[in-house]
Amino acid sequence: MNLLSLAYKNLQRRKLRSAFTIAGIALSAWVLVTLLGFNKGYEKSLNRDIDNMGFQIVLTAKGCPYEAATLMLKGGTGLRYMPEKLVEEVASAPEVAATTPMLMHAEFDPYKGENGGTVVYLGVDGETYPQMKAYFEFASGQWFSAPEAKEIVLGYEAAELEQREIGDMMLLPGSEEEFLVTGILKRTGTQDDGMIFMPLRTVQNVFNKQNLLTMLGIRLKQGIDSSAFEEKLYQLPDVQVVSMAQVKNTIISLVKSARVIVLSIAAIAFLIAVFGVLNTVLMSVFERYQEIGILKSIGALPKQIFAMIWIETILLCSGGCVAGIVFSYAFAGISEKLIRFFLPFAPNGELIFLSPDLILSAFAAITLTGMLGGILPALRAAHIRPLDAIRSEV
Amino acid sequence: MRKFLYFLFVFLWSAETIAAVGCDLNDPDRDVKRFFPDSSGYKTEYVSVAKNGGEELYKQMENRLGDQFNGIYETIDVPYTLYTVLKDAAPIGYIHGVNQKGKYGGMQVFLIMDTKGKIKHLYFQKLTSKNAKELRAPEFGAQFAGLSLTDFDVYDVAARTAMPGSAVAAIQNPAPENTEDFYAALRGTKKNLILLDSFIFHKREAEK
Repeated sequence: MNLLSLAYKNLQRRKLRSAFTIAGIALSAWVLVTLLGFNKGYEKSLNRDIDNMGFQIVLTAKGCPYEAATLMLKGGTGLRYMPEKLVEEVASAPEVAATTPMLMHAEFDPYKGENGGTVVYLGVDGETYPQMKAYFEFASGQWFSAPEAKEIVLGYEAAELEQREIGDMMLLPGSEEEFLVTGILKRTGTQDDGMIFMPLRTVQNVFNKQNLLTMLGIRLKQGIDSSAFEEKLYQLPDVQVVSMAQVKNTIISLVKSARVIVLSIAAIAFLIAVFGVLNTVLMSVFERYQEIGILKSIGALPKQIFAMIWIETILLCSGGCVAGIVFSYAFAGISEKLIRFFLPFAPNGELIFLSPDLILSAFAAITLTGMLGGILPALRAAHIRPLDAIRSEV
Repeated sequence: MRKFLYFLFVFLWSAETIAAVGCDLNDPDRDVKRFFPDSSGYKTEYVSVAKNGGEELYKQMENRLGDQFNGIYETIDVPYTLYTVLKDAAPIGYIHGVNQKGKYGGMQVFLIMDTKGKIKHLYFQKLTSKNAKELRAPEFGAQFAGLSLTDFDVYDVAARTAMPGSAVAAIQNPAPENTEDFYAALRGTKKNLILLDSFIFHKREAEK
């Protein structure tokens, strides 16, 4: 009989105790792997969300809300405008790869709800905007046919709410003019899903905002230092610079602080589980004191006894670790829902990312720690003197 | 154990799916009190054809409507919000809304019902139309008061005709130049009544 099967049989002799020890390790491994996966997934999703914005820097007039949600909360008020000629000035900078001008307009619709409500329109340039938002895909249709066309492209949710299909007509609040729906975008999981897009020139003309913009999206050339360029932009009068890198760094540093605390708790939980294993194996060594003595008296060497006990520890730790990893995969959906429930801000997409390298490192770390923990009971067993053991009353 | 695994599967799977758009009251506390001033509270339930009868019910409803459901927006999994209005824990009415395609945008057609299945009020929460003012006028909504699904059963949605002399045939279009939105309002009302019948009234009869 080899040592592995002997160690396995020993664990089977105390099934319930072995099961509870494995469960302890499994629970702590589950928490640890999920947290490590969250660490990776959150950063990955946040990066993707920010990259999906299509531009690294947004230029707005000072004090202007640049997000549709903020605008809706403020009842469509607070919009400020920049002159359109700013586009040429910024676009001519050598650091800039592309720019896209936008004009957001909030209109009060008296027939929305009991007391009316705000509808937000985003005027975009049909040429440059789609290039910035390369991830946009059409569920049906296409972008506008001309810069001043009376046409509308709808985000997925806006189309659902308005029950629009390609070729349908839409009205703007307070206007009798009809606008043709030329495209419906696929769901993106961003605020663009609820957006009503119109050609920039059309929005400027219809809402009497000629030569004005609310935002200018800027994409920089590869390798350009975005902070240095932002400093340059601050020289422009009456504009505010919103850097996506800044937004990302702020969120990530906040999450990092919370992560240190949570990971420390997970590490403590894991150490407790390892001490549980140590205790279990040590108990089993004491219980088998005479048995180990007999083994030694019939010729088992100390290194073989050491290996047998050590293998038992490794089996417990690796078994628990595998179970914990399986739990992490199986319950990733639920864990994600819980995290989203408790977290004030969570990006779209996968929040818990369990990559093969993460799983392998977690498995290696947990098993190695278990192996270290198993040295003491294995040494105790290896040093048992056969005669003392056989004579003992244990 | 099998039930637990089934629940787990549904729960994990549902995390990946995104349901179709529903129709809620913007301000339920205010609206319930407005339509039922003597109410003491309300109960909110989320119902769907998928959960209440599935494909078979969906087909039955389509037949009863006399028109095909729009495959994009009137899907089997649309989550409907049903408000049961209470007075001292006893139901005194229901409020239920549906999305309906109008000529220029989505309409949200809410029916305020009594417990016997008769319309008390018709309320357009959202309406984009050149004749929004006329359609939202109390005079237009008043024409629906007292009607039930039995009255609408004689209205052919596809043909846009009602049996002469019936209560639905008597409903006047307040803006004759815009027939699209008028017929959309009638379709939305009939669809809403069919849904309410499936979710409440028919179920209640079956339980008796």
